[in-house]
Amino acid sequence: MMILRKQKRIRWIILILLSVVFVTMTICVIIVSQIKLPTDDLRLAREAMTAAKEAEANVYSESLYKESGRLYDSAMLNWARENSKFILFRDYTRVINFAKDSKKKAEEAEEESIKKASNLSKDVEAAFVSLGKKIELYDKLFKNLPLSKSVFDAHNKSKMFLSESKIAHENGKLKDAEILFKKADIYVNHANNAASKMLRDYFSDYNYWRKLANDAIAASRGENKVILVDKVAHILYVYQSGKAIRSFEVEFGPNWMAHKEYAGDRATPEGNYHILSKKAGGSTGYHKAMMLDYPNAEDRARFAQKKRQGTISRRTGIGNLIEIHGNGGRGFDWTSGCVGMKDRDIDDLYRLVGSGTRVTIVGSIEPLAVITKGFDF
Amino acid sequence: MKSKLIIAIAAMGVTVLFSSCQKVPQAEIDAATAAIQSVKDAGADLYVPEAYQALVDSMKSANEKVEVAKAKWFPNYTKAKNLLVYVSQAAVDTKAKSEARKVELKAEVDALIVEVKALNEGNKALIAKAPRGKEGREALEAIKSDVAVAETTVTEVEGLLANGDLLGSDSKIKAAKEKATSIKAELEEAIAKKGGKK
Repeated sequence: MMILRKQKRIRWIILILLSVVFVTMTICVIIVSQIKLPTDDLRLAREAMTAAKEAEANVYSESLYKESGRLYDSAMLNWARENSKFILFRDYTRVINFAKDSKKKAEEAEEESIKKASNLSKDVEAAFVSLGKKIELYDKLFKNLPLSKSVFDAHNKSKMFLSESKIAHENGKLKDAEILFKKADIYVNHANNAASKMLRDYFSDYNYWRKLANDAIAASRGENKVILVDKVAHILYVYQSGKAIRSFEVEFGPNWMAHKEYAGDRATPEGNYHILSKKAGGSTGYHKAMMLDYPNAEDRARFAQKKRQGTISRRTGIGNLIEIHGNGGRGFDWTSGCVGMKDRDIDDLYRLVGSGTRVTIVGSIEPLAVITKGFDF
Repeated sequence: MKSKLIIAIAAMGVTVLFSSCQKVPQAEIDAATAAIQSVKDAGADLYVPEAYQALVDSMKSANEKVEVAKAKWFPNYTKAKNLLVYVSQAAVDTKAKSEARKVELKAEVDALIVEVKALNEGNKALIAKAPRGKEGREALEAIKSDVAVAETTVTEVEGLLANGDLLGSDSKIKAAKEKATSIKAELEEAIAKKGGKK
């Protein structure tokens, strides 16, 4: 009887225990099923990050993109941490919050990146236009000036960096394009500043040139023929009765943008001169030539003063044999300081003027503002 | 007797329960992570960025799948494992693609270097033929300087190439080619002009 009662009690205990286990398990399953997994939030965050990367947010919105990545990593770390806890004690709220923040930051990064890339693209395109204008300014105004090698190099490097920048822009690498056009800008500014300073400095004598030119034109009144040479324009005019009756293209020495001061400086003198003699046939190697009376009294005085000041060495000579001669028309400045003309032009000039004709050589007849027509530099 | 039976059934249940709990596929995770790093080291993020990004994305997805499995009563890592295996295989393909792109790019840059060098040499020869006076060598300084810049760029490109910067050398050599071609056109025009005058 006692044994039967004991067995019955054990059965009841087992039944109760199993019921408890069953109920507990059911409750656990219900609780666990109620826990929201962060799967969707993390997937959305990851997709947002991928979209941001495609928009190059890692380049144009670096900090937001990195922040998004950090938040995603935190979400994953917290998820792993929560998963290591007993199933009933897991709480994915922080994981979900991190994932949501990551998605938000990625979306912000994408938006900012698109905006910045668009702005940068516009800036780069504007910079190309601006750089193009600066390079055009150099090509139109400065290219033929006797500039130093460092200025040529700077200009050429600027063109090279501009080309590289354009290639980077075409490949969609706007940041690279920006870096390259900034380099191009530094070089082009260096070249243009040096060249424009040289031009401005040269034109500081403009009033003197204008006076020389006016005097020469005035001297041509009556039947006198006067030669007026404009170095910047590279034109030799023949004036008669106050009017230019002929004009010819001319070339000078490579250092033409300076007044001749001494022998071998390859500069063409500026001032009033006269034709001393005319040469043709075997007496000149330049088809035809007209010797000028350089140095004149003014040149000698200036030369002596510079020697006294020590700006010209004692052993240096003043130079001579400055001519208007043929063999020109080469398209660049090549003489030793003479005025070079095409053979057919020197033929005409040779017939037109005689020995004793006044030759006035000036830097420019026109002021700098006219020379630089519309270019802002 | 009955209680012994119940205990045996409970023990079997526990055994089944634990046997259905798989282990985290750590070996596959480590292999995939190492494969991605090796792909990155091969420069895939630069040379085949889209394929590399897809790989990184797949890896993240695989890590999420691992955590999804971990979050369950009875973790099953099969999906995560399959994806990790796929990532490891795809990494091999991406690395191969990256290497192929590098070879292709290097061949392209090498060919361009040869072309630009030939253009520079040709330009030097053209400078010799270009109009000049007996005293006018300086007048060609601007063009010579242009050629020198193009030559310096080729040297820079060779340096970049030696350092493995294929992308940098590619855009630089293309710019040098553009430069050398424009110099050639300028010189040919000047020579033609001179020829016309004769």
